[in-house]
Amino acid sequence: MHSPHILRDYDQAIGALRAEVLAMAAHARHNLERAIRALLERNAELANAVIADDDEVDERERSIDKLGMDILVRFHPVATDLRLVVSSMKISMNLERISDHATNIAKRAKKFTDCRELTEVNLIEPIYTLADQLLRDAISAYSDRDAKLGASLHARDKDLDRMHMDATDTFGQRIEQTEGRSADYLHLILIVRSLERVGDLATNIGEDAVFLEVARDLRHASNREVDTGI
Amino acid sequence: MSELPNNPAIEVRDVDFSYGKSIALKNINLSVARNEITAFIGPSGCGKSTLLRCFNRMNDFIPGARVSKGGIWIEGTEIHGPDVDGVELRRRIGMVFQKSNPFPRSIYENVSYGPRILGEKNKEVLDAIVEKSLRGAALWDEVKDRLSGSAYGLSGGQQQRLCIARTIAVDPAIILMDEPCSALDPIATARVEELILELKKNYTIVIVTHNMQQATRVSDRTAFFYLGELVEYDETGIIFSNPTQKRTEDYITGRFG
Repeated sequence: MHSPHILRDYDQAIGALRAEVLAMAAHARHNLERAIRALLERNAELANAVIADDDEVDERERSIDKLGMDILVRFHPVATDLRLVVSSMKISMNLERISDHATNIAKRAKKFTDCRELTEVNLIEPIYTLADQLLRDAISAYSDRDAKLGASLHARDKDLDRMHMDATDTFGQRIEQTEGRSADYLHLILIVRSLERVGDLATNIGEDAVFLEVARDLRHASNREVDTGI
Repeated sequence: MSELPNNPAIEVRDVDFSYGKSIALKNINLSVARNEITAFIGPSGCGKSTLLRCFNRMNDFIPGARVSKGGIWIEGTEIHGPDVDGVELRRRIGMVFQKSNPFPRSIYENVSYGPRILGEKNKEVLDAIVEKSLRGAALWDEVKDRLSGSAYGLSGGQQQRLCIARTIAVDPAIILMDEPCSALDPIATARVEELILELKKNYTIVIVTHNMQQATRVSDRTAFFYLGELVEYDETGIIFSNPTQKRTEDYITGRFG
């Protein structure tokens, strides 16, 4: 943990930024969890709540940008502090997109409440569980400054990619085999794709956490191949 | 640390420096690359200005002050050797101070003073040196019509650039700057910083600064000193983005106990 800054305002501003990112992360994760629950429980009301709450996540993104800009203008941060501001602003962008995916899932979930139950909906649950684990760990990597955990996400996201491909194949086959439910299976394909994107965005957050802690840029394959020493 | 080029302009090896019994610098090892700007940073009393003043033996004027161990090589010559003339050393290593200190003479006389005491008497040659030096210090256009006017009639920023012109008039190899912008407003500071960046094409520059942003803006390498020790020395981008030493990080981020 860092020693306190000579300016108390500075520590407060940095603390507020970090707290706002964590609050936004909790909000985005909660939206995703409720969107999946709305799908599995055929709960239109819950889906509507997720759709309505996306505005709050958008507002948090703006708030984080403002806090970050204020810190840059007022305090000219360097080293770890500069990386915290930069990574927080980038993470908030990824969280906003995760919440957008939760909204997309919620919108599709609403469509399932009006039609006959589809047993294959349950195939979504393990994919969501893994995507949520990645998201949870990405947020922990940021909050706990755990570069090792942040760097581990890329490999684990490959498992999510495989689950996405398998599920897409399954739903594709059902479209061919089942009469009259093509649109519903297509919704499931797009829901799984949203979850796969959540995994990618969680991986980005993990990479930002690595940058925050050890100032290494793990984005793109060529950088990942270098021994990061993590 | 990133590699320094061979044949540095200044090489400091195992230097201890003391004011009487008080040790101001402990076992300093550092190389300053040619045609680069090297910034010395650190809290007051850390020894950065002392080291700067070692380079042109300004400390010789302080009774009891001495390099008690190690040596300093400037362009390959150890500066404490018996053959080294302090006056000639200070001609080759110019210095600009925190507060501008023009002589109470005209602008022309301020710049021509150095070459004149070195023996130059030819008016045409002196005129050429004055113009070249003032142009080199980005001051010519502002003062060319009032060269005979008092240097005290210039603004603070202009006076500091006049001092830089006076420094380069004797054709030094190295310019030392001890907080050259600390008394200037932001616009005058920007002009001097622009000048410093321009000067590095022809000179090696070492600058002591308390302004972290100034160090990041102008310097190629930064050395952080604390309690007489050189804590960390690296490319400026690395020092201010990812320093390796906790003391450096604490200092530059403002978390100094």
